[in-house]
Amino acid sequence: MVEISGKEVIVARGVKKTYYDNGVPVEAVRGIDLTITTGEFTAIVGPSGSGKTTFLNCISGLDDVTEGKIWLGGKLLTCMSGRELSDFRRDRIGFIFQAYNLIPVLTIEENVEYVMLLQGVPARKRHRRVNAILEELGLGGYANRLPTQLSGGQRQRVAIARAIVSNPAIILADEPTANLDSQTGAELLDLMRNLNEKKGMTFVFSTHDAMIMQRARRLVVLKDGLVAGDEIRS
Amino acid sequence: MLFKFAFRNVFRQKRRTLLTILTMFGGFTLAALAIGLADGTYAYVINMFTRNQLGHIQIHRESYLDRPSLYKTVDHYKTIGEAVGRISGVEAWAPRLYSAGLVSLEDKSSTARIIGIDPVRENTATRFDKKIVEGRSLSGPAAHEVVIGRGLAKVLKARVADEVVVVSQAADGSIANDIYNIVGIAAAGDDMSDRTAFYLHLDDARELLVLEERVHEIIVIINNIDYVYKITGDIREKLADSALTVQPWQEFARSFYQAMQVDLQANLIMLLIINLIVAVGVLNTVLMTVLERTREYGVLKAMGTRPLMIFRLVVVEVAVMIVISLIIGFILSLIINYLLATTGIPMPFKFSYGGVEFTRWYSEVNARSLYIPGITVAVVALLVSIFPATRAARIAPADAMRTN
Ligand SMILES: Nc1ncnc2c1ncn2[C@@H]1O[C@H](COP(=O)(O)OP(=O)(O)OP(=O)(O)O)[C@@H](O)[C@H]1O
Ligand SMILES: [Mg+2]
Repeated sequence: MVEISGKEVIVARGVKKTYYDNGVPVEAVRGIDLTITTGEFTAIVGPSGSGKTTFLNCISGLDDVTEGKIWLGGKLLTCMSGRELSDFRRDRIGFIFQAYNLIPVLTIEENVEYVMLLQGVPARKRHRRVNAILEELGLGGYANRLPTQLSGGQRQRVAIARAIVSNPAIILADEPTANLDSQTGAELLDLMRNLNEKKGMTFVFSTHDAMIMQRARRLVVLKDGLVAGDEIRS
Repeated sequence: MLFKFAFRNVFRQKRRTLLTILTMFGGFTLAALAIGLADGTYAYVINMFTRNQLGHIQIHRESYLDRPSLYKTVDHYKTIGEAVGRISGVEAWAPRLYSAGLVSLEDKSSTARIIGIDPVRENTATRFDKKIVEGRSLSGPAAHEVVIGRGLAKVLKARVADEVVVVSQAADGSIANDIYNIVGIAAAGDDMSDRTAFYLHLDDARELLVLEERVHEIIVIINNIDYVYKITGDIREKLADSALTVQPWQEFARSFYQAMQVDLQANLIMLLIINLIVAVGVLNTVLMTVLERTREYGVLKAMGTRPLMIFRLVVVEVAVMIVISLIIGFILSLIINYLLATTGIPMPFKFSYGGVEFTRWYSEVNARSLYIPGITVAVVALLVSIFPATRAARIAPADAMRTN
């Protein structure tokens, strides 16, 4: 068992998720117990189809579980209404996707401030915060550009900015480097590791990328929807 | 923010947006023209019938229209006419006297409808002088003159300055006959009247038929046809005579009025079809857009956007397109309707309505022809966008993220 040092962010107990593909049950996650604590920099790895994405979707409340319980920041996710979940994600979780998924009609600045807009943060504060983060992530001159005018690496940087802008309890990233070349991927990972070390932000990745595995401080291995290994590395 | 977002989305797929806007503004313009043309033609036809012939309101002795008779007269017509003329909204009135007779010229003869008119009053009321196609109108004082209809002139092979003999029955039971000098030939309006009209000066007609201060009909022309019911009521009240019937054109020309209503219903069906096309067009494009943006809406939901906001995003996007469509449609319809109102369009075929021939279609520029299509198109497009908007709001973010 892994020693828990920080405060618990996510606690998953007996999580199962069964999909029905044309009536045929597909057991994507078959009973996972996992605890994520603050300040972790964790990679969930495993072969394709082992349930990484499914598990991430369950712990972020994007998908409902078939069985089991999930607590996020001490609150039980599995009995929240759609709207509560929506607000919970807005305030507690940052997402980074494989395909960046920036909103194409919004500028970089607008993409990054979007969540704060939903939260009702006043304009001046939003502005200050967005500018500071863009500056920090080396996107200072790009605030008024559209996503299509940026390279893949830059776009993923914007996605990172968007994920961390409102100081969420945890940042979930599903294969964040899969669409990038290895050097850009490594740079972005260093950036996130930096944020993790300096600001104590909690990151959980799902990945096939050996480079992420190297940099991760905890490796959770999934196999056939179950935890097959869990180790802390220095 | 929501608005900005929606507004930019509108200009994302320019072709599709153009198509949607084209559908809406096309529907708007078509509907506006349909209403404009219908109202224009309607007004034109009604005007032809009432203003130029039958009057807006008619006064008769009770049951005259159902069973006309020489003896069912409106007595003391001058007093009545003058009283009516003082009612506000009344523009003119004219007395008429009717009878049937046999007219002959040399070896030709034909039945005719003797119509006694006051040429001065008839001119101001129904512009009688404008109907003269040959010769002139009747003189002010009675002078044994007659104006006959075009059709009747043809049958009799009559020309201006010919003398015709008329035989009829007088009110006192005697045989009425006299000779009149043709001074003019008139286009009486419809085919039927054209073939029988025999216009005499009212005084000549009264002398012929031995009727004193009596006529069969008083027609009333009013300033604004929209107030016809109200003024009819005012006249009834003023005359307070149960032996007289006062009727608006909708009543004394009931079959004509009903034909017009049928026409309006046909127009309503056309509006319905136009709106259906708009509905299908908008539904199609909005649904396509939502499907295409499934992943994007999924991302927005993952980040904590509430379903209602996504719903609003889609609806506002449609609303922006509606506003653009309506502005363009409004301007275009106004221009086209105005052009059609002033010059009209020639009819592709000869069209005869109740014996009156129409050669051009006229449109009418009115508020109705703009706000009815405006409201219907907007409501239809908004209603139709509810379905795709709900769909967008219900997108499950996890599924949305998996679709590549
Ligand atoms: N919506 C769905 N309906 C049916 N089956 C599904 C659905 N989503 C996932 N699955 C199945 O669940 C299993 C786990 O899928 P998941 O995407 O979680 O794997 P993964 O570890 O993320 O794989 P990869 O490394 O390829 O991303 C797979 O067998 C997949 O086919
Ligand atoms: Mg996956």
